[in-house]
Amino acid sequence: MQIPPDVYRKIIYAKKFIDEHFQESINLNAISRKACISRFHFHRLFTQVYNKTPHQYLTLKRIDYATDLLKNDEVSVQEICYRVGFESLGSFSTLFKKKIGHAPRNFRNRAWFRKEQSRLQPLSQIPHCFIERFQVQH
Amino acid sequence: MITKLSHTTIYVTDQAKAYDFYVKKLGFRVHTDATMPNGFRWLTVTPPEQPELEIALLTPLDGGMQFDEEAKKAFKVLLDKGALGAGVFNTPDCRATYEELKSKGVVFKSEPKEQFYGIEAVITDGVGNWFSMTQPKEGAAG
Repeated sequence: MQIPPDVYRKIIYAKKFIDEHFQESINLNAISRKACISRFHFHRLFTQVYNKTPHQYLTLKRIDYATDLLKNDEVSVQEICYRVGFESLGSFSTLFKKKIGHAPRNFRNRAWFRKEQSRLQPLSQIPHCFIERFQVQH
Repeated sequence: MITKLSHTTIYVTDQAKAYDFYVKKLGFRVHTDATMPNGFRWLTVTPPEQPELEIALLTPLDGGMQFDEEAKKAFKVLLDKGALGAGVFNTPDCRATYEELKSKGVVFKSEPKEQFYGIEAVITDGVGNWFSMTQPKEGAAG
């Protein structure tokens, strides 16, 4: 079904709202209000446009940001959980593992190891054919 | 038996600008960003829903890649013209993504149009390349 341009703009606006406010305690009601569309229609239209429900998209944003913080920050997993917008460490850890394939602490350890390896042996990150073809070690 | 593509290269005029476009505007994830002692920067990104495909954003013009002068000139001409068509990106909704990226300052060669395989716009990365941005028709390949 073709979505009228003005409705498109509202859905895009709502996605932008999620992008900018995912760390806060927002839910479908708040997001659909921003789009000025009823909760039911908003859910249906957002899902049609982005192939994800608003809740799935919100969770994805939070988990993505958590991976950045786990890679780069020294703050605790619990602090990261709250900082990215989750209210329970249990549900954060479960969803993180489901989406990323590793528990947050395990992910952090692996990221640290990769970073160290990259620092100490930068060439280990590059397929050998690239190193040879472009003579990057010289 | 070859099973999948794990790495591919997009040649760009400037890696910092490419980072800005692919990571900050398109939302790709940085996989590896490591600079070698000779200045060669190995910068790879992955599409948001394809974490197993590393796209290396490399500049053939400087930064430690050992192309001869003739090859560099040829690359420069093509990249400066934005002539390299580097592939097809998929999106669940071409019109919505078009509006969103346009609002972020992304330049398009063409607006979303119905094609027999779906809805397609043509996007430029500002560092030498253009892409199809396609919303595949249901049941169509892609």
